[in-house]
Amino acid sequence: MDRFSGQSRMLSRVCLLALAGAATSVTGTLPVYAAGEVNQERLLNVDKEPGNWLHHHQNYAAHRFSTLKEINRDNVKNLKVVWTMHLGGIEGGGIWSHGGLEGTPIAENGFLYVTDGWGSVYKIDAHGGRGVLVWKMDPKTDRDWAGAVACCGVDNRGVALWGDLVISHTLDGRLIATNKETGQVAWQRTVADPDKGEVITGAPLIVKNMAITGVAGAEYGIRGWIAATDLATQKEVWRTHTIPGKGEPGSETWKDSNNAAAAGGGSTWVTGTYDPATDTIIWGVGNPGPDWDNAYRPGDNLYTDSSLALDATTGKIKWHYQHTPNDPYDYDSVAENVLVDIPGPSGPRKLALEADRNGFAYAIDRNTGKFVWGLPFVKKVTWTKGLDAESGKPIEYDPNKPVQTYVASVTPSRDNMETDICPGNMGGKNWPPTAYNPDLKLWYIPVIESCNRIKVEVATPDKLKPREFWTGGGPSQPFKITGSVTAIDVTTGKVAGKMETPFPNLGGMLATPDLVFSGQPSGEVMALDAKSLQKLWEFNTGGGVNAPPMTFTVDGKQYVAILVGLGGAWDKWFIDSTPELKKIQPGSMLYVFAL
Amino acid sequence: MIFNGPTVRPGMLLASVAALNFSMLVAAYGQSAQGPASDPTNAGKAVFSRANCMGCHKWHGNGGGGYGGDALSLRKTELTRDQLIETVGCGRPGTGMPFFTRGAYDEVKCHDMNRQDAGAQMPPEGGTFLRPKDIEAVADYVIAHIKGAGEPTYAECVTFFSSPSRVCDIYKTQTQKPDDATASAGKGQQ
Repeated sequence: MDRFSGQSRMLSRVCLLALAGAATSVTGTLPVYAAGEVNQERLLNVDKEPGNWLHHHQNYAAHRFSTLKEINRDNVKNLKVVWTMHLGGIEGGGIWSHGGLEGTPIAENGFLYVTDGWGSVYKIDAHGGRGVLVWKMDPKTDRDWAGAVACCGVDNRGVALWGDLVISHTLDGRLIATNKETGQVAWQRTVADPDKGEVITGAPLIVKNMAITGVAGAEYGIRGWIAATDLATQKEVWRTHTIPGKGEPGSETWKDSNNAAAAGGGSTWVTGTYDPATDTIIWGVGNPGPDWDNAYRPGDNLYTDSSLALDATTGKIKWHYQHTPNDPYDYDSVAENVLVDIPGPSGPRKLALEADRNGFAYAIDRNTGKFVWGLPFVKKVTWTKGLDAESGKPIEYDPNKPVQTYVASVTPSRDNMETDICPGNMGGKNWPPTAYNPDLKLWYIPVIESCNRIKVEVATPDKLKPREFWTGGGPSQPFKITGSVTAIDVTTGKVAGKMETPFPNLGGMLATPDLVFSGQPSGEVMALDAKSLQKLWEFNTGGGVNAPPMTFTVDGKQYVAILVGLGGAWDKWFIDSTPELKKIQPGSMLYVFAL
Repeated sequence: MIFNGPTVRPGMLLASVAALNFSMLVAAYGQSAQGPASDPTNAGKAVFSRANCMGCHKWHGNGGGGYGGDALSLRKTELTRDQLIETVGCGRPGTGMPFFTRGAYDEVKCHDMNRQDAGAQMPPEGGTFLRPKDIEAVADYVIAHIKGAGEPTYAECVTFFSSPSRVCDIYKTQTQKPDDATASAGKGQQ
């Protein structure tokens, strides 16, 4: 491994020379070398190359933690923009008037790989303290086809690297492999079908020789799945549906006579994690559909609103943990499960942490799927009085009841057709990723402190139409919504700190040894003290921050990068809760900071 | 005459987005600009796209539920031409339907209200303002092509988009739909 990374460093230096040569018109005189290929060995050992950021979530455990500390609490006040790059992809399509940026850049040997909302991939040379576009791969996404069934924005959260390929998704359902050196498409494969309401917004997860793909579309009556494509043969290895088929285990949790399971939702649009010790993929599953009319689909509705553990080789379900059975709130559990090991009385506890839309943070034993602890991470929860200390289920949950009502006075139902819920349906935390500092054992959650109003519309089978919304109601925004960065001490399962922000956190977190970085949809990128959450630095980008920061090095110098460009669902569906954000313009720009 | 210049053809705003990506279709782009130009309501169709009516009512006008609440169906609407014009210009107080007339509820009274009278019922402001002729045009388009039109059809969809998008495929009947090898990756999985 050491030898390998040494070699790749050397090769990238040769590449630099080749590029420099090309720039001075000495083309053809220098041979072109392939950069170091990305393989499972490197993906398992990213700690050995701290200057690179090879995984969407930084490592297989989704820590989004970098050990780089040239930028630290003592000097972060001197952090400055060193270069920026305008990207594209803000065009509209379908029901969307513009695209936006939600991606996490990938960094390898001084090159960045980023995507725009329509799935164009950009390779950027970050050597020498400036950014130079090496190539752009435009997949020519069918905008009207895909944009009409994207519930929540024209988004693409980034790429993965494998071999000499850049692996990416498109909103219109494709998995694309692009040659890392040339930017030419090597192959592509259709994985999801927008004709069924399926689109893809997440970054692929590479496990062994497979790209793992999740799907969006629970608002359009899909039956969700997680799929594995063999990158060598381009064939599907497995596809596991998140809603069991007739007669399969879990199908008994769909007790209706509407065949609701066939359109039961259970999206998987946030990239999951992988535990190599047990060869297990852990992936979050979204809400059931129709979102707000849970009387249409009596039963617990497995595996919606669950964390799902799959055998990586076969795709078989090992265990599940459901957070909100028979969900009437749109409280999906699509968030990433962060894998952490905590010292315990009888050896390390192996946990999977998930910050759920329902406002609770959960620690699950990731070998058994059993509840360990849970606590609210938002300031206000009204839909339940709390979690059962033993099972972690909402204390009002009654397994004998076909339709759950939880705190019935606030819960949307056919008897309570208009009601206010906290958190709001966009959740206490949506897709923006958390970060985990393994030294401090602090877990940082990007929080939407929210309530909103739900109006129920009774669903009937005739209302289920291809490519049309299947929600059983809809939200409105009569309340102001704010945000916070909330830190949880994973050793105690208690809130260790909360830094409140004027706007919801719609971008996510990065942790370094003594700092955390995040952004605001009003434009600010900020650095906080990792322990006190005191703000130490801030820069206003002048655009909406809807993407997580990341960090990397080039020739030993540390940089922080973040994509800035009004993306996601907020400005279309939720803007009335944050009227000050109405003035934010669409945009598409990469910001890179250094000391 | 309503648009910015002779090169911007009615109905081509959406098509132009796709055409940018399909340079080989430049010829077809030119052709389709001539054909539909004979339809007097094409001006209104362009407004329907430009003002993002389809963002909530969808291309077919049927609206529907979802995260933004329920946009009313323009196919089932009983509004007259004058009522459509008033609704587009003034929005619908107390709902998400925006107003598109510059100065509505200020110099231009709407529903006999100004901004102050409307208070919390004040509808949102449209993403673009439309001139009276634009608003008449979009009302004429809705009446000619959407109001009372029943369920959306493949022919309607293709006419609307006039682009190589697959957005219309689901409206094809089974016999019309060609075998599609690339979309069958999930077959046997249902």
